[in-house]
Formats: sequence, structure tokens, C-alpha cells
Amino acid sequence: MTRSARALFTILGLTALTIALSGCGVGGLSPIFPEPVSPNGQAIYNLYLGISIPAIIVFVGYEAALLWVAIRYRRSRQPAGYTPPQVHGHTGVELIWTAIPLVIVLTIAVFSFVALQNYFQPINDQQMQVTISGHQFGWDYDYGNGVVVHQEGSLTSSVEPFVVPTHTLIKLQFAGTDVIHSWWVPAISGKTDAVPGYYNYSWMKIDRVGQWRGECAELCGVGHASMQIIVQAMDQPDFDAWMAQQKAKATAAASPSP
Amino acid sequence: MAATTVLPRPKAYDDTFFKPISLWLTTTDHKLIGIMYMVTAMLSFVVGGIFALIIRLQLSQPNLQIVDAATYNQILSAHGVTMIFFFVTIFVTGIANYMVPIMIGARDMAFPRVNLLGFWLVPVSIILYYCGFLTGHSLDAGWTGYAPLTEKAFQNHSLGVDFWAMSIIVWAISGIMASTNFLTTIVALRAPGMRFSRLPLFVWAQISTSILLLIVGAPLAAAMILLEFDRQFGTQFFTTGGRPVLYQHLFWFFGHPEVYVMILPAFGMISEIVPVFARKPIFGYMSMVAALFGIVFLSMTVWAHHMFTVGMNTYVEGFFMLMTMLIAVPTGIKMFNWIATAWWGSIDFTVPIKFVFGFLATFLIGGITGIYLASVPVDTQLHQSYYVVAHLHYVLFGGSVFAIFAGIYYWFPKITGRLLDRKLGEWHFWLTFIGFNGTFLIMHTLGLEGMPRRIWTYSNEAWATTNLIITASSFLIAIAVGIFLINIIRSWNHGEIAGNDPWQGNTLEWATTSPPPPYNFERVPPVRSFMPLRDLRESGELVEEAAPA
Repeated sequence: MTRSARALFTILGLTALTIALSGCGVGGLSPIFPEPVSPNGQAIYNLYLGISIPAIIVFVGYEAALLWVAIRYRRSRQPAGYTPPQVHGHTGVELIWTAIPLVIVLTIAVFSFVALQNYFQPINDQQMQVTISGHQFGWDYDYGNGVVVHQEGSLTSSVEPFVVPTHTLIKLQFAGTDVIHSWWVPAISGKTDAVPGYYNYSWMKIDRVGQWRGECAELCGVGHASMQIIVQAMDQPDFDAWMAQQKAKATAAASPSP
Repeated sequence: MAATTVLPRPKAYDDTFFKPISLWLTTTDHKLIGIMYMVTAMLSFVVGGIFALIIRLQLSQPNLQIVDAATYNQILSAHGVTMIFFFVTIFVTGIANYMVPIMIGARDMAFPRVNLLGFWLVPVSIILYYCGFLTGHSLDAGWTGYAPLTEKAFQNHSLGVDFWAMSIIVWAISGIMASTNFLTTIVALRAPGMRFSRLPLFVWAQISTSILLLIVGAPLAAAMILLEFDRQFGTQFFTTGGRPVLYQHLFWFFGHPEVYVMILPAFGMISEIVPVFARKPIFGYMSMVAALFGIVFLSMTVWAHHMFTVGMNTYVEGFFMLMTMLIAVPTGIKMFNWIATAWWGSIDFTVPIKFVFGFLATFLIGGITGIYLASVPVDTQLHQSYYVVAHLHYVLFGGSVFAIFAGIYYWFPKITGRLLDRKLGEWHFWLTFIGFNGTFLIMHTLGLEGMPRRIWTYSNEAWATTNLIITASSFLIAIAVGIFLINIIRSWNHGEIAGNDPWQGNTLEWATTSPPPPYNFERVPPVRSFMPLRDLRESGELVEEAAPA
């Protein structure tokens, strides 16, 4: 084996090691999303795992073939005066590697479309609705009963949490007031843009008590990085207590309204 | 007996490069214009790279303040604009400008003066863009410049957005000129015997690229003109009270095909280089051409996959998802055909073919992550995160830029008459390959963990180690680029003399001197297949001009 072949081996070995390490989550490297806490997030998680099966097979297969070519068919490995066979193509083989990727991507597309229909349509059977509006630079959460949580952006301190009850189907209605923002908490689900001019919808149904971080995902100006999001899920009694407290606050502050 | 084809005697050395400045400024020679394109692009590459290093330094640890948020947003926008508009697109235009006429046996482009004008619009465009920095407030909304962030209401004092919009309009006009010129040249000026079915695949790639740019250049200019109407004349196309999403449609109708404008010429280069070094003809010539046009068609039906989070009807999203995924099929055909070309070959692992293998190894990853991103539900997680940043660098850097490097090592001897130094080339390749994967492979995980792109800093300590590794690796790329530039400058003056045909090439550019004379060929060799030079070599018709007595 020549020097370059050995170097190539080393590099590919290192790459494989990196992937293996990231598989074990060493050093904060995770090959997948945080554990989802809402069914739509779970749908994405499952889809991601599903796509990974053909993806890993194709990746390993192709890279192995490439490595094989690089090692086996280098000139130094061929007998002196070797003339490669002058193959111009092979219709059968070409049809096979047209058909197989076609079948793979169509399968992925079908599964994705089913998940899209089942989990990413606007819903109407919600138990609660919150209007989330983005502005430069923060989020307002309007519970529709006079209570509004102002989550002003901050880089240093943690922001005001958006409090929700667990096991409740919550419809999220997004509104943009100035530029486009995008609301994203990876543990819950994908992102939804808050675009001025129309409402955009999403939903969540959080299955456990906890607190999750997110960020604004659409560049919205100098304060973009500070538009952090914290979602806090409480059991229904705790949430009711919190809501009663907020309502009292809101009434107290009603007369000197801003 | 068949008539022998006498090829010109190799030049000892031709100092074509040291021409008076007045000649450079006024030449209509496609080769000199091509060189100017490539040099301009390389300067942009260095500038864009410096922006990238500043970005990486700022992100290397949480809560750093190497630059402030306003500066950071301008730098990240300038990095994207410079690399996409002024480096990759311009470089591939330049290399095609140099090679396409020679490869088809023409003397020049069909419209030499349009070529001259088209080129000089590029520096105009670049200078216009960088004028934004002189105003103290350049474009700060990313290379995509989404409205309404770029609208007057949010950029009241800033002329940077106007300079950017003007710059892009000029750039689009230049691109449309170049595309028209390429298409006309290839249709009208082919040498006798150079039928369409015998065009080198690089020329086919240039046909498909030109068609794309011709179609999508105008909508880009339209988006910029409407934006300027909003900013200067108070219209309400994309403002908060208008239709911001319309801007995204117009921009991405250009923006996604632009990705293919950058990658199709790269595909063309790979298709030229693999057969030469494997000493085998390309596997599946016709399916390679068909795949190019499959990509051209599909790429114009996928733009809204950049907009899966704006709230579209799910059937519309399903359509764009399906079309996006289908692009994997023609791209897959190309990937498999390349490896089949190399299979059973006798591969001489010089630097160009190393970069080709680097391209195949990394572009594959970019293609696979593209499938994840195409799936609408998964995309809502990955969109606008560092996963996307990793993906786009795998296709643009791991794809286009690796191919560009391969093309440079392959064609530098033809352009300058001298070979690039092999040892420095090896260093360049390995440092780039390691640095590139070190930078972008683990970047995927940042996106999965929830780090959005385009944030100027972050407080999440969990991302600190990964970001530090990325920054360290990015400096490996910088060192590699430094070695590459040293190699270019040194070899240009002192490199080993290449001769006419250092690689035993297949195509016509290797049948003339290095560098070629202004008229390219004294006599165009006969063309009997898509590998005309190889045919002549094998039939023994190739005779080099006798040395002077």
C-alpha cells in the first residue's frame, strides 16, 4: 500500500470515528434532535430515524466503493502496461441505479407526506389557544383571556417563560408585527414563521412537566440572537394557579394600562 | 493512408501573462477574459474567507464580543454574497469562458465584445456591493436579504441595502449576457465534426447552466427592482403591510436554480477529469447529458422548499417536497456513473483526481442531508439551523469548490504553460479535506441541538466545545488556501513546463499549445467522437510538429 493510500485510510478512519463518537453523544455532539415532548415533534423524530436507514446504507455503500476504487484501481496497483477496459456504459446497470434511488425517495416522500397530513395541518379541536406574536426583539404570548406573557429578548439572563399546561392540545397562532421571526423550540416541534400580514398556525401537546429552550430562527436584526424562548410546562392544577395569579396581576394593572 | 494531424510544437515558455495593462483592459480574447474572471473570483474567495474566519472567531465561544451584533450581521451577509455571487458563480463562468470555445474548436466566443462588457460588469457589481461598507452600514440581512427586514422601515439610515440591490441587478445582467453568449457560441461555432452528441460533458454542463441562468436571472433582478421601489418610491410590495412572502418566492425562484448554476459546471469538470485520469471513457455519456437536463428542469420546480415554515397548504408543500427529492435521481445517476468510470481504471492519483475523490466523498454527504431537508416535517426542525449551514457548505464547498480546485490543478498547465507544484498540491488537498470535514461535519449536530444560523453569539454552554472544534478546523482550511495561493504564484513563474498535453487529455484544448495562441488553433483537429484527441492518439495520427532545424 502506498503512502497516499494509507493517508486516505487514516482520514476515512478518522471520519468514521467522528461519526461513531457523535453517535455516542460524546462532547455534546448529538446525531439527532433532543427527545421530543409533543406528538408532532415525535413524528419528526421518527421520520428522521426512518430516513436515516437508507441514508446510512447509501452513505456507507458509496464511500466504501469510493475507497475500494481509490485503493484497488490506482495505477501503482495495476500491472505494467495495463489498459483498462474501454466500457462506454451499460443500460441495465444505469437503469438499476436510476430505479433504486427513485424507489427510495418516493418511499421517503410518501412517509413524509403522511406525517405532514397527520401532524402538520392547522387544527380546530384545540383545548386552548395562544397567539404568539414576534417583534424586534421578543415574543408576546396572548392567552386570549387578558393574560399576556411578554418574553422580552435577552442574551444574558434567562427570559420570562411561556407557561403552558401539560396534556393539553394547544393551538398556536403566530402573528408578525414588524419583520419575519421564526418560533423554534427543538424539543417540542419544528419552527413556525411569524410573518406580518397573516396568521400562521402550529400546535403542541406536551406530555411532561419541564422547561425547554428555543430561539428565534429567522434573522430579524441586531437583537436576533437575544430572542430566546423558554417554554415551561406545568400540570393542570399548577397551571391554573399560575393563570389565576396572572389574571389578578392583569386586573391590578388594568387601570394604568400602557 | 489517413492524413496525419500535425499538432503545434510545445512552447518552451510563453510569457502571455505579462501583457500591458491596456491590453488586459480592452481585450476581447475569451481566454484573457476568462483569466480575469478567475482572478477576480479568487480575490473574492480570499475576502469571503476572511469574513468566514471572523465569523468563526466570534462564534468560537459563548458570549464573545470580538465584533458586535451589527457588524456581525454585515459580515455574515458579506460572506454569503461574496462567496455565492462573486466567487463560485464568477469562477465557473471564467473557467467556462476560457475552456468552452477551445473545447468545441472555436476561435472565440460568438460575441467577443458582449463578453468583454459582461466581464467588466462583474467588478462594477462587486464595487457597488462593497460601497455599502463605505456608508458604514452594509447589507445586514443575510445574502438572501429577506424583506421586510431590508425595507426602509427597518433600515432607515442605511444605503447598504440599496448598494446591494443595485449590485445584484448589475450582476444578473452580466450573468444573462454570459449565458446568451455561451449558448450562441456552442450552437453556432462548433468545429466541423463536433456534433451535439460529441460535445465534451463540460460543454453540456455549460449549456444547462446557461439555460438556467438565462431563465432565473430576470426574476432576481425583478425582486431587487421591486425592493428598490419599496425603499425609494414608497410602494408596498414586500413591506410589513404588503406581501413579504412574495419576496421569498421571487428570490428563491432564482436562488435555488443558482445552486445548480454553481454545481453543474462542477459536475462538468468532474466528468472531464475522471475519464482522463482513469484512462477510461466516461460511463454512460447519454445518461450524463440526460441527468443534466433532468436537474435543470427539476431545479426550477423546487424553490418553495426554502419556505416550508411560512405556512403553505400541505399539498403545495408536498409537491415541492416531491420535486426536491426527485433531484436525487439524476444526481445519483451522475454520482454512480463517475464511480463506474473510475472502476477498473488505472488511476494516476495526482492532485486533480484527489480533489475529484474529495468531491465525491463530501458531495455525497451534502446530497444525503438534502433528502432530510426536503422532507417537510423534518425540514421544519432543520430549517434555518446550523444543520442547513453544514448542508449548504457540503454542496457548495465540498461540491463546487472541491471541483473548482480539481479544475484549477487540471487546467492550470493549459492556461499558464506550467504545472502546479505537486507537493504543495498534496498539502493543499489534505489540509482542505481534513479542515473542511472538521469544520462542517460536526456542524450538523449544532443544528440538531437547536443552534439557529445567523446568531451573532449564544449563551448556551452546551454548544461551546463543538463550536471551538469548528473554529480550529476552519483555520486549517485557511492554511490550505494560503498554501494554494503560494503554489499558484510560485508555479505561475517557476513551475515545471507542462507541454501541450501533460495529462494525455481527451478533449481539444490539449491539442493546442499551452497557453493557446489568441486564435486557439491553426488547424482544428478532426472530431470523430467526444474524445477527439484520444482518437487521434490511438489511431497514430498524432504527430507533433518537428523541432526547428
